This record gives sequence, C-alpha cells and structure tokens, in this order.
Amino acid sequence: MRITTVQRRKLQNAGRFVLNIPLMLVILIPLLYTFSISVMPPDEIYNNHLIPTSVKFTNYVQAFTNPYYNFPRMILNSFVVSTTVMLGQMVTCSLAAFAFSFLEFKGKNLLFLAVLATMMVPGEVTIIANYLTMMRWGWLDSYRALIFPFLTSAMGVFLLRQYYLTFAKELYEAAKLDGCSNLRFLGSIVVPLSRPALGALGAYVFLNTWNQYMWPLLVTNSRNYRTVQIGISMLYDIDAVSLGLMMAGVVIVIVPSLSIFVFMNKQLINGLMSGAVKG
Amino acid sequence: MKKTLALILVGLLAVSFVFAAGSGEAAPAKAAGPVKITFWHSMGGVNGEAIAAMVNEFNTINEGKIEVTYEYQGTYDEGFAKLQASGGNYPCDIMQVYDIGTRYMIDSGWVLPMQTYIEKDKWDINQIEPNIAAYYTVDGTLYSMPFNSSTPLLYYNKTAFEEAGITKVPTNFDEIYEAAAKLRVMNADGSVKRYGFGMGNYGWFFEQWMGKQGLHYVNNNNGRGEQYATAVAFDSNGGGLAIAKVWDKVLKEGIAPYLNIGNNDAKAAFISGNIAMTLESTAALKSLLLNIGDRFEVGVGYFPNINKDDKGGVSVGGGSLWMLNTKDTRREDATWEFVKFMISPEQQAKWNAQTGYFPITVAAAETETFKKNIAEYPQFQVAIDQLHDTAPQYAGALLSIFPEARNVVESYIARLANRTIDAKGAVDGMARDINKALAEYNLVNY
Repeated sequence: MRITTVQRRKLQNAGRFVLNIPLMLVILIPLLYTFSISVMPPDEIYNNHLIPTSVKFTNYVQAFTNPYYNFPRMILNSFVVSTTVMLGQMVTCSLAAFAFSFLEFKGKNLLFLAVLATMMVPGEVTIIANYLTMMRWGWLDSYRALIFPFLTSAMGVFLLRQYYLTFAKELYEAAKLDGCSNLRFLGSIVVPLSRPALGALGAYVFLNTWNQYMWPLLVTNSRNYRTVQIGISMLYDIDAVSLGLMMAGVVIVIVPSLSIFVFMNKQLINGLMSGAVKG
Repeated sequence: MKKTLALILVGLLAVSFVFAAGSGEAAPAKAAGPVKITFWHSMGGVNGEAIAAMVNEFNTINEGKIEVTYEYQGTYDEGFAKLQASGGNYPCDIMQVYDIGTRYMIDSGWVLPMQTYIEKDKWDINQIEPNIAAYYTVDGTLYSMPFNSSTPLLYYNKTAFEEAGITKVPTNFDEIYEAAAKLRVMNADGSVKRYGFGMGNYGWFFEQWMGKQGLHYVNNNNGRGEQYATAVAFDSNGGGLAIAKVWDKVLKEGIAPYLNIGNNDAKAAFISGNIAMTLESTAALKSLLLNIGDRFEVGVGYFPNINKDDKGGVSVGGGSLWMLNTKDTRREDATWEFVKFMISPEQQAKWNAQTGYFPITVAAAETETFKKNIAEYPQFQVAIDQLHDTAPQYAGALLSIFPEARNVVESYIARLANRTIDAKGAVDGMARDINKALAEYNLVNY
C-alpha cells in the first residue's frame, strides 16, 4: 500500500507531536508548578502535592489589591520602561549599525572596535558609577533613570551591523544614484528588510529590561517607579516566607513578558518570510 | 510600519517625561508643612505589611506635623549595599540595617547614635530588653535602636518525638545525635525516609555557637573593645574547631543530610516532614506553623550547645534602626519621635504578634496583644525564656566585614560537606580568608 502525500504529512505531524509534547511538558512543568503553588492552600505546598486539592485565588487578589504591593502600578512601570528602552535601542542601534556597515569614514574600524570593547565590561563594574551620576543629576526616582542608561547597546549595534553586512553593496549604490538620502535608504530599504534581526533585538532587549533587578532597585525609591522584579522581592521575607504569594507574583510578572514574546515571535516569522520573498 | 514605530516611540518618550516631571513634585518640601522623613527598610511579605501599617498609624497620629515615607530597599544585603554606595549623601533619615552591619555603620561616620537622643530626651533606656540592647551597645553607647530582633531555636516535630518515645528536648549535640538516631525512619530499600535532624549551612549559627561556648569570634574583646577587631579568635580558642567537628560528624555519619547554604532548604525539609528537628530563627515560628497546618505538632527548645558543659548564651540577630546624621535638626527630631513610636509597648506587641520578632520593649509583655499572642503561640514563651537566660556578655561579635566573613564560613562548611577539606582545614581556611579581608579593610578604613 502506498502512502499519499497527505498521509505522509499527517504522519510527520503526528511524529512531531509525539516528540514535542514530552519536551513541552519538561519545559512547562516548572511554570505549571509555579502556578499550582500560587493557588494552593499554604499547608499543601510542602506536602509533595503537584496539584492543589482546592483552588483559591486569594494570593492574586492580595498581590493585586493590597496597596502595599501595588502590582498594577509596577506592571505599568515595567511596561513603559521596557517598551521605551526596546524602541530606543532599535532606533539607535540601527542608525549606528548603518554607519558601521554602509558608510565609509576615517577610523571606522577603530570606532567599531571601541564599541565592541564596551561589551567586555560587565555591567556590574559601572553600576555604582552610573548610580552616582544619576544621583548628581537629580535623576533618581524617575523613569529617566530607568530608561536613559539603556537606550543603546554595543550588542545591538553588533547584531544589526552583522546583518546589514549581508546586504549587497550595490543596493546602497543604486539608491544613492537615484538620489536617495542615507536616512531614507535606512528607513525604506534597510529597516523593512531587517525585520527579523530588529525583531530579535527588540524581544531580547524587552525581556532583559523587564527582568532587570539591581539597577531599578538602586535608582528608584518610591513605589511609584518600582518595577515588577522588585515587586516579587517585596513578597519575600527571609523569616516569613509565603511561597504561595510569591509564586502568584511570579505568575503575574511572567504573563506580560510571555505575551510580548508570543507577539514578537509572530513579528519574527513575518519578518523572515517577507525577507525571503523580497530577497 | 516606520511611521507607527516612530509615533509610538515619541509617545512613550513623552509619557516618560510627563511621569518624570511628576517626580519633581514629590521632592521634600521646604520648611512649611509637615516634616517629611524617609524610612528605608528591608522587610518583605507580611512583615513589610506590618511596617506599612505601623508607619501609616504614626502618620495619622502626627498628621500635619510629621510625615514618614517607608521605602522598601530589597534584602538586608541589598539595602546595605545601596546605603554603602550613597550613604555619604544621606539618602534617608532612618534605616533598618541587619545586625552584622553594625560595626560598619559605626565606622562610617554617617550615623547619629540613639544615645544622643536618649540623653537629650531623658528617655529611660531600661525600657529596652537588656539582652537585646547589649548587642547594639558599644563602649556604653547605644548606637542603633533594636527593632526586629530574633534568636535561633531548635524546632522539633512533636508528633515524631511522641512516636519515638522521646520526652526530653535535646539541649546539646550529644543529645541531638541520640534523639536523631531514634527519629530516623528508613525505607524498605535501605534509603532514609526521614532524618532525625537537619540544619541549613547558615553562618549565623556559627556565630551563635561561639557565644554559646562563651568564646569570642574575633579578638579585641570580640570587636567591642577600644580597638576594632584585627583578627579572628575562633581559630586560636578552639571554638571554631569544635563547631566544624560537629558539622563533620553530623554529615559524615549521616545524622543529617546536607541542606545547602542558607536556611530555605532546611525549612522546606522540616515543613514537609523529611527532617524531625531543625534550627531556625524565632521569627520563623508563624510561617512554619502556617505551612505545616495540622500535619504534625511543632515544639521548640533552646538553641543546642556544641559541648555538654557550655555556659554561654545566644545573642540576637535581625535588624535595628539607624538614624542618619543629616544635620537637619527638624528632621532628626521628627525621626526620634518616629523611633519612640516604633518601639512603644503597644506597637512592639503588635509587631511581635504579626511577625514573630521579639518585642524589644520590656513593657510590651504587659499588653493585651502580647498576652493573647503568647496564649495562641505558647512556643514563643521558650524563645522569651532563652533570651532572658542569656547574658549581655554573650552579645556577639562586631566585625566590619561580617557579611563577607559569613560567606567565607558558609563556603568552607560547604567544602567540608563535599569532603574536599577536613574540620581542621576548614577552620584554618576560614581564619585565613577572614583575616585577609579584615586586614585589607582595616588598612583602607582606619
């Protein structure tokens, strides 16, 4: 008996499912268990239960409505900061990468090496110096302090430059011949063609900023500017651990970042396909 | 696409500036209006909520006069690090710092000792529990106001004790070994189902056992003399070796499993019933009971002695309130009012009931809140008795680099657990590393 194409495709799909479902479970179990703990009665948490006997959402209500924790405000803060940093990096990095890949100027390689060299300096080294700068400028406890130091990154410049280098030089020369300005070339040709790279950068930067802990803790004081990761640590106490409440906080914090990732994922695939057709 | 992107970006930047501009208004007001002071603390969860409630009550009482803002600054370590980075600029008026930050705070010169206001206000210092005040008193000066104080205790599974027929709560390690052997439950395949004992690798316990042996952790009168500490003493007085030998025996003979650095794993193991005895802070009592529910009964005993004939006592851990020397008398006066409120008997009784930290004020024991709480949690009486049974001379060491020293101790105990080092080697290593860090610190700072 011969297998038709349709049948073969179905079989392949089934095979993929069989392979992927256990993999998915392995990856998802910590998340599911986190959720499970967050809805468990406290005396079940340490009692080797995977699934709660009764489901209660009091921890979520507590985290959301208790003005001491103020989660809605912290989620808003994290969103504002992460989105601005993400968009800011997309703009500055694509501009810098454009210069490093398409333009010819004196000392270009040296400058690029200098940019790369900043990648070798761990963030922890500069954190105190940056903090003191922010303090002297009177920027503490504001969105500015959370956003400005991260508006560009050597990693982003490097990533986009490598991508732009794959573009044919002739593309740029042809556009120039037709009288296209550098900015216009970047805006209407390079950026649309590099959506996968930009999307990857965006997702990476967003998640990194969303997950920042030390810097927001240093430069903010009032609860008006605190971000979600600090919110989670606010739920923790060394002597009075309430795991359920903490896990509820973790779930609340994961959901927005996961949804952004899902959204960005679609962008990524769209970008890849449009690139393929045009290229 | 490009246009929307640009629009969103511009929009967000605008939003951020609006919010940023808003922050300017929150800056401390000038002489008019209530005195605004800032309180940095490191209490999370329910303990943080308790702080918030106390501050709010204070603000209501003092409306129009004093306004306190509480700001959570991460864990003790993180808040302390933040203060170290910015302390010279006096970012807050009053701060909660952990016990082991005491020497650093005194040396920093940023601090206004509580003693100054105690004398100015003729406030009776005997209102404070003497064994708690002793820790924060150096050269007769009370530097900071004790606030959240705790001691370690032995917690045991009372139900398991009854099943094993043990009636006496162990008071030293010989008795712990004996009880642990009776409490151990094996599986059919020869593996251990329940250990009789287990403890986290927590540097705090090491410090406590030095005090329990009546020995000093560092030289120069345990860092409390006229001169700061210049070297550890636990290596030469034998106290460190006695502790390391207990660790070695417990792990080598399988009396207890190794439960990692910190106390979280030990806590989890005790709650889930995998170990029948453990060491934990008094402040953990409520969260332990809550998580255990009615699966088994919890008993508490004194923190165990290392040797049978140890005559020393425990010292308090936890945190205290430090007033920063802002040189703004109005704010400092307001801060003192706030301190007095926070340690008033009613507030301390409430604080004790909600968190499990000791009430640091003697008179708190007379309040209804306290009596109700002790009736509900009779285990807490043991903690109070243990505190009264110790003496001020076991107040514990003061050391500028204590946070680092604690890490060193824990890392060598971890190596002991991995069998890469023996008890003697562990103590020598601890002494070497701590002395080196201490010499560097002293060279730079004195």
